[in-house]
Amino acid sequence: MAANNPTGVDKEQAFGMAETEMEYRVELFNRLAQTCFNKCVDKRYKESELNMGENSCIDRCVSKYWQVNSMIGQLLSAGGRPPM
Amino acid sequence: MASSNPETESNNGSSIAKEPEKPQIEAFRMPTMEEMRAQEVWNNCAVRSVASGVMGGGLGLMMGMFLGALDNPIMQEEMTGRQQFMYTMRQMGQRSWSSAKAFAVMGLIFSAAECVVEKARAKHDTTNTVVAGCVTGGTMSAKGDENCKKEYNVSFMGQDERIPSYVCRRPKSSLCWLCWLRSILSTDREVLGQTYLIGIESCSSFEEDQFFRKT
Repeated sequence: MAANNPTGVDKEQAFGMAETEMEYRVELFNRLAQTCFNKCVDKRYKESELNMGENSCIDRCVSKYWQVNSMIGQLLSAGGRPPM
Repeated sequence: MASSNPETESNNGSSIAKEPEKPQIEAFRMPTMEEMRAQEVWNNCAVRSVASGVMGGGLGLMMGMFLGALDNPIMQEEMTGRQQFMYTMRQMGQRSWSSAKAFAVMGLIFSAAECVVEKARAKHDTTNTVVAGCVTGGTMSAKGDENCKKEYNVSFMGQDERIPSYVCRRPKSSLCWLCWLRSILSTDREVLGQTYLIGIESCSSFEEDQFFRKT
């Protein structure tokens, strides 16, 4: 890129990257909440508070989701393409 | 909701009558850290089992006191009023303490078992309660096994042959079945059928000092 205004380009680049990162994070959060909710919480709501079983299910679900996410992220970022 | 109210008022006069029936939905608040910590306290298995044990103890205390107060002394005519009162007080105290202990232990074990099972399964089901009840019943009646074992040794001590089946000598129904089960699980395969039948026969018709022996 032609360095007409180095600081401006960097700022825009940083902005764009931050925006992409923000979108990625929001998408991750939404999908995580959706997946773990569908997996762990029975749809016949019998009470408004989370039980102990649901609590531990959600803990485990979030932990696993996060692990899988970071693992795949590492795999994809290390090589150019996923190892097949 | 606030913006839709004037529209409904202006649109249709008959809808004004429906307005008071609309439920007031309050805004959603995220739980604060204090609320979350307060909920976390009850997720702890130890806290729950101790609280349940305390409640069981209280219940046992009340029940024991009530049942002890109904207990009449044996020699009622010979005692004075004060003596009867002291006797009843002592009975109430003893019974309330013993039943408080029993219920407290039962509540503790049940709650701890249910909590652990539910956390392990990560599901909210009736299976948790069933397993917890089995565990509680098993631990409460595990002491009965010693009685059976003692009787077994006393009854068959000094015998040359190996008696495969045995029956609890002072049976209460649950102890008898427990002993039967124990004998089932510990005998040889070829005498299993006889043990089974003898055990069933004796446990279902137990009386005091009844004693069967397989020849």
